[in-house]
Amino acid sequence: MSSLLQSISRAAFALLPTLPYATAEKAGCGGLAVKAHHLSACARVDGPIAFRGASFEIPCGCRTALIGPNGSGKSTLLRVLAGLTPVLAGEVEVAGEKPRLGRRRIAYLAQRPHLTEHFPLRLRRLVQMGTYAHHGWFEECFHGDKAVDLALSQMGLTDLAERPVHTLSGGQLQRGLIARAIVQGAELLLLDEPYAALDQASREIIDRFLFDQDRAFTVVMATHDPADLGRFDRILEMRGGTIHTSHACEGHDHRHA
Amino acid sequence: MTTAMLELIREPLGEAFFVRALLAVALSSLTCACLGAYVVLRRMAFVSTALTHSILPGVIGALLLGVSPYLGALIAALLTAAGAAWLASRKGTSEDSAVGVMLSVMFAGGIALMQYANSWRDFAGLLFGSVVSVGTSDLIVIGATTLIVLLGLRLLHKELELASFDEEYASLLGARPALMRVVLLGLVALGAVSCVRLVGALLTTALFVIPAATGVLLGRTVAQVMGWGVACALGGGIAGLYLSYYLPAVPSGAGIVLCCAAPYLAARIFAPRR
Repeated sequence: MSSLLQSISRAAFALLPTLPYATAEKAGCGGLAVKAHHLSACARVDGPIAFRGASFEIPCGCRTALIGPNGSGKSTLLRVLAGLTPVLAGEVEVAGEKPRLGRRRIAYLAQRPHLTEHFPLRLRRLVQMGTYAHHGWFEECFHGDKAVDLALSQMGLTDLAERPVHTLSGGQLQRGLIARAIVQGAELLLLDEPYAALDQASREIIDRFLFDQDRAFTVVMATHDPADLGRFDRILEMRGGTIHTSHACEGHDHRHA
Repeated sequence: MTTAMLELIREPLGEAFFVRALLAVALSSLTCACLGAYVVLRRMAFVSTALTHSILPGVIGALLLGVSPYLGALIAALLTAAGAAWLASRKGTSEDSAVGVMLSVMFAGGIALMQYANSWRDFAGLLFGSVVSVGTSDLIVIGATTLIVLLGLRLLHKELELASFDEEYASLLGARPALMRVVLLGLVALGAVSCVRLVGALLTTALFVIPAATGVLLGRTVAQVMGWGVACALGGGIAGLYLSYYLPAVPSGAGIVLCCAAPYLAARIFAPRR
């Protein structure tokens, strides 16, 4: 019975065409990962305006900190760039295109990811979901195991690979989600306070990856931690509903720009 | 002793209607337990209850109009799903209450139609299931449904799993979690329609929920949840059929549900804590 079903499903997979989840992206971004001009957005439909008239640029490869008090619009800006929240007014280009869903070159990590509780899923599978970005409908996803192993070891999770996701600690889960973004091969990482409630060990593992100068991706990270702003190439400060300063911080040696 | 027990098991197999019912139970268990995994994991138990209960007016309406009861049931179930989605699309009505409204309205409509069509005899069978009534054409419908549901779950496995676990990441990848929800609701409607003959409109929801709830206690991946669920539904279904064969006063639906509850209870008590 099961082998019959298996051969039927294999035949169906073979018959059906592989459809990509979304239209493909343009290659290259013209040196700018993000280019915003007089950008405004709301956190929720019909909600108050989170920020208005924001104009800034983020060059490719730049590690960027997004700072500002609670409610200043950091999360909304990141969600706009990810394509999850609509643009209210103004222009914005992310990796050479208007923000939209279905972009494999962009990874977004929410401050509190809404994962279904007690879902029966092993950590390895969670990380493997990053490879779905390179597959479409009606396609089996057997390969990519090597990339999954590599990402797991980069995040120090090799020993936990077979653990159910709901038994992981907050820091382990956060590292798992970053491993998923690594597997996805994203060129732009949008991270919303990834260090919130993380212990020193998890933090260092994530740091070592994000600030590895050999890696060519761009990072935009909302953060509340003033202590380590020096490591960023660029700081955007959100205050009073808009972006006030947008400067390369001291010691910036233009190695990414 | 053993020969006497074997005889107890073999005796009903001589009856053609019992063999048909057995086949129908096996196919329905497969459908409902696999679909049920997603129903339980996504906390859609209430929606599935609404879909199964709304079959009642569909079947009676179809009988009054003289069309296929399966067609009526499917239309009623899809109507319920669409109606609940429409009601919940306005601010102020939560999805929960929208489903509650559709459930009670459809069921009340079914009861009204039932009184209107009181010349028809097999009300108890419609509500609680009846083994005797499973015919060859029913088997064909159930088999086709099983094939469609299993194929759908298989082909969309990675998208369904992703959308059920992390909806936001699914939409970030463009994997359409809202569409996956609609597909699941459609498959649940199909599955419910196919087992109404066996378990009845009131109890079909139990076939979605109880085996999968057992599976969730024992399985560590979605596939394992489905596997344990199928085992529970198959065991419970077959035992239930025998129960209602030897105790004709027990409708098949009630027997099947009671026998499915036993492995759930066992798993609840003995499954290792995770």
